[in-house]
Amino acid sequence: MATRFTRRKFLAGLAATGLSLRMPVLVAAPGEKAITRAIPSSGESLPVIGMGTWRTFNVGGDRHLVGERTDVLKTFFELGGSLVDSSPMYGSADDVMGEALERLDAHDRVFAANKIWTRDGDATREQDRASRRKWGIERFDLQQVHNLLAWEAHLDTLKRMKADGDIRYLGITTSHGRRHGEFARIMEQEPLDFVQLTYNVLDREAEQRLLPLARERGIAVIVNRPFQGGRLFRRYQSEPLPAWAPEAGCSNWAEFFLKFIVSHPAVTCAIPATTRVEHMKENMGALYGTLPDEQQRRQMADYVAGL
Amino acid sequence: MTDTDWSSYSLSDFLMFGPEVFLRLFVRINQDLWPWQGLAIVMMVLIAALLVRGDTMAKRGVLLLLALAWMWSGAGFLMAYYGPINTPADWFGWAFILQAALLTVAALVWPWDGTCVAPESRWKAGVGWFALTALLPLLVVGQSGNWKAVALFGVTPDLTVAASIPCMLLLPRRVRWLFLLLPLLWALFSAATLWTLGTRLMVLLPAATLVLTVAGFWFSPRPVQNRG
Repeated sequence: MATRFTRRKFLAGLAATGLSLRMPVLVAAPGEKAITRAIPSSGESLPVIGMGTWRTFNVGGDRHLVGERTDVLKTFFELGGSLVDSSPMYGSADDVMGEALERLDAHDRVFAANKIWTRDGDATREQDRASRRKWGIERFDLQQVHNLLAWEAHLDTLKRMKADGDIRYLGITTSHGRRHGEFARIMEQEPLDFVQLTYNVLDREAEQRLLPLARERGIAVIVNRPFQGGRLFRRYQSEPLPAWAPEAGCSNWAEFFLKFIVSHPAVTCAIPATTRVEHMKENMGALYGTLPDEQQRRQMADYVAGL
Repeated sequence: MTDTDWSSYSLSDFLMFGPEVFLRLFVRINQDLWPWQGLAIVMMVLIAALLVRGDTMAKRGVLLLLALAWMWSGAGFLMAYYGPINTPADWFGWAFILQAALLTVAALVWPWDGTCVAPESRWKAGVGWFALTALLPLLVVGQSGNWKAVALFGVTPDLTVAASIPCMLLLPRRVRWLFLLLPLLWALFSAATLWTLGTRLMVLLPAATLVLTVAGFWFSPRPVQNRG
């Protein structure tokens, strides 16, 4: 049945959308509270599930896909998400994120995390400015040195930017378990708010040194590649969840993988990336309910290792 | 893991997009060009006809049309569509334009000696070339399952490059290598990209280019008369 679309209806719909963005938990899961963790250096709370953009938001000028990614971001916000992480390395991801934020009018809803990715140690502010322009924001909440590229020069500038109020937090990143030795040395010596690293039910090297060190030094931890770039699903999705999964708060594999990560006491949030709304809904399921305890975490790792 | 363990990297670490976005490039350029794809078909027919004719003017005509195809796929597909999601595609776009300039110079300036192959061979060349150029686009359709993703000669780089190699046999072997370098580089780049994306059927396109390019370095059509 066709419905006449009036200006009044349009404005009412717009207001409802805006309201839903600002009241995410009410829309997503009535009566349930999102699981959050405090950023050690400030005490500010963050939802334990964030969103990555690697490979997923680099869609160039494809209007159709920009619309689809905007729907993914909308679902993320509606279900209580906040931290979104990107990088100038990810092609057009910054541009697409800026357009999606603009369409959703969600600039004040996002905890904006980005990276400095250039060998030119003098280009920190310039790259930060370029990324801000693409996102359409006045400042990033978190700015990180991507994969330790020219990290000394960039970190020096980021410290000054933080002191000047140009960013709120600073950090460094690695992935795939690379350069953990150097990463740990920087964590020991520099005043970092955040580190970002790879950790999942199979890639657990970070448990040895980096995660304990983050707790000891009071550094927030963002976890990338929580699904090993999708490999965990390809490998295990056809397998059954263990019978005790609901006791650990998991009703599907996405929740299983994510809750294993965010239940580690040193982890602040995980940043899965997806192109599909239904997958985003599954991911955001890990933001609610109970988290596995230490014994259940061991069970989870053993179960996956045994498949 | 050591601090400089490059063995931990794989090709997929350098690819910042997935197969969905890549295959959509073909759909998008076809939607945006519609109905001007007709020009690409006209170009294909013209080149096939000129290959059958085979005289000096026809050779110049083939090379000029090839130049147009390289220019179009470089500035269009590579720079306007592919470049925004994959920076090396932008660089290849400029290289395609340079190749187009080279082909134009070869068409207009090269002192052709008037050698010509036998009429029967010319018919085979023309018809064979047209068949190759008409059938290869189906690989992309097969991969994407979408007719709107058909990759046309003169529009998309893999088709343009693969279809150009047989025509480059028109060039004397002593200068031909200059025109085969970029096809070789493109085929390697494209094969690595398509393999990493998991679009395995489409890998046949750069694979065909590689085979044709290697053959192009050694093979020359046998002249039967001199009209010079």
